[in-house]
Amino acid sequence: MNPRLKELYQSVILKHSKEPVNYEKREEAGQHLDAYNSLCGDRFHLYFDLKDGKIKDLSFHGYGCAISKASTSVLVEFLEGKSLEEAREMAREYLASLTEEGKTDELPEEFEAFGAARDFPGRMKCATLAWEEMVEFVGKD
Amino acid sequence: MRSVTDIRGDFPIFSQHPELVYLDSAATSHKPESVIAGITNFYRSENSNIHRGIYDLAAQTSAKYEAVRQKVASLIGADSEKEIVYTSGTTDSINLVAHGFLAQRLNPGDEVLISAMEHHANLIPWQMVCKWRGAKLRIIPLNAKGEIDIKTFQGMLSDRVKMLAVVHISNSLGSINPVEEMISEAHKYDIPVLLDGAQSIAHVPVDVKALDCDFLAFSGHKMFGPTGIGVLYGKAAYLEEMQPVRFGGDMIRLVSYEDTTFAPAPQKFEAGTTNIAGVIGLGYAVDYLAAFDRGEIHKRMKELRAYALDKLREVPEIRIIGQSDHCSGIVSFMLGNVHPHDVATFLGAEQIAVRAGHHCTQPLMDLLEIPATTRASFSIYSQEEEIDRLAAELKNIHRFFS
Repeated sequence: MNPRLKELYQSVILKHSKEPVNYEKREEAGQHLDAYNSLCGDRFHLYFDLKDGKIKDLSFHGYGCAISKASTSVLVEFLEGKSLEEAREMAREYLASLTEEGKTDELPEEFEAFGAARDFPGRMKCATLAWEEMVEFVGKD
Repeated sequence: MRSVTDIRGDFPIFSQHPELVYLDSAATSHKPESVIAGITNFYRSENSNIHRGIYDLAAQTSAKYEAVRQKVASLIGADSEKEIVYTSGTTDSINLVAHGFLAQRLNPGDEVLISAMEHHANLIPWQMVCKWRGAKLRIIPLNAKGEIDIKTFQGMLSDRVKMLAVVHISNSLGSINPVEEMISEAHKYDIPVLLDGAQSIAHVPVDVKALDCDFLAFSGHKMFGPTGIGVLYGKAAYLEEMQPVRFGGDMIRLVSYEDTTFAPAPQKFEAGTTNIAGVIGLGYAVDYLAAFDRGEIHKRMKELRAYALDKLREVPEIRIIGQSDHCSGIVSFMLGNVHPHDVATFLGAEQIAVRAGHHCTQPLMDLLEIPATTRASFSIYSQEEEIDRLAAELKNIHRFFS
C-alpha cells in the first residue's frame, strides 16, 4: 500500500472522517452554507450563527469522501468561535498550505495532513471544498 | 477469438505502462496500433480538407472520408451509408435528434420516455426539449436488480408518447436492456426509438435492422477509435425529415443572401470542416472491431464479469450495485462505508485504473440512495490477473479503513 497515501489518511483524515467534529444538522441556524462539488456529488452543509462578529455554534452535515468530510470537520474545529477576520486568515493559511509555495513549518498538524493531497491532484478539491465555500462567505481579503 | 495476450499486443499503451491495470474501458477504450498509425499517417501523408479541393490529395481524402460511412453502415447493418451521420460523439448524436427531430414534433401534453438508468447525455437533451415544448418527460422505473421494469414500461406506452430513448447497456450497472422487445412494443404506437449504444457498440452484436431501432447513437472512443468522433444512425426517412441544427459551409445546396436550401442527409448535419482525422481513425477502428465476432466478445465480457463477481465476493463488505442476470463487462460496487473516491485513490496509487463517482447518472444514484459507486469495466484486452489484483487491493483497502 502506497506509504504517502497511508500517511495522508492515517494521521488526521481517518480520525476526523470517523468522528467528525460537531456533525449535526442545525436547520434553525442563522447562517447556512452549501459546499457542493457537482463533479462528484460530495455535499456538506455548514450551519452557524454570527454573534458579536464571531462564528458561533458551527456544525456540519452531509456526505462525501473521507478527505472532504475530514477537511470540513477540521474547518469546524478551527473556525468555531473565531471572528470573521480570524476565520479569513485561517482559511487563507489552510488553502495556501495545500500549495507547494504555501508550505511552512509552523502549520497545525491537522493542516499538514491535507498537504499530502498535493501528491494526489485529483483529490485536491476534496480537501478544499468546504473551505472555499467559507472563504466565499467571509471574503477573500 | 484470439488470446488475450495476443490482443494486448495490438495496444501500445500496455507496453508503455507494464504495471497498468486498466479497468476503465467503459470510460474510454484503448487504441490499437492500427488506429494510432492510421491517424498519424493521415496527418503525415494524406492531410487535406474534404469536399473542397479539386487536386488529387483532396479528392483522395474526400473519398476515404466518405468510404468510412460505408464501413460504419456495414458494422451496424444499416441499409445505406446515407444513414450514417458523423457527430462528435454519443452526446452530440442524441442532442441532434432531440433538437433536429423531436423539437419540431413535440407539442404541449406530449410525452417522452426514458429509463431511470440513463446517463446525463440521454436525459438532459430530452428534459430540455420537453421543457421548451411543454411536454412531459416520463421515467421508466427499474426493478430491484437494476433492470427495466417491462410491465410498467408497457403501461406507459400510449399515443401521447412521441419518443422513446433508452440505453442499450447501462454504464453504471452493466445491465443489458431488452431493447428488441421495447422497440417492438413502442412501434405498436408508432413511437420512434433512439438507442444509446455507447457501451454496446464494441461489446455485443448491434444490428440496426434486426433491432429495428430508428436511431442509434455511439462514440468512436469507446470502440477503439479516437475521441471527438461519433455516429448517429437514423432511418433514411427520419433523417430526411430532420432539420439541421448547425449551419455553415458544406451542408448547403444553394445559398443566397435571402435564403438557403440544404444538402440531403447526412451532409446537411455536418456543417463546417468536420473532424476529418477522427473519421479516418474511426474507419481504422471499425476495421479492427469488425475482425472480431461480437457475439464472442459478448461471451468474453460475461466471463470476465462472472470471474470478477466471484473474486469480489471474497472481499469483506462488498456490495454489488446492479444484479441483472443480463450484464456486460461492467461491475459497479460499494466497499463497506468507504467512499468510492477514497477506494479509487488507493487503487490508483497501485496503478489500478477504475472509475469512481456518479458516472453521469446522478438521478440513478439518488434512486439507489448511494452517493456514487466504484466501477470496474472490461474490454477485449482485459484479463483475469487484473481482476485478481483489484480484489487483492480491495481487501487491503477494507483492512486499512476498518
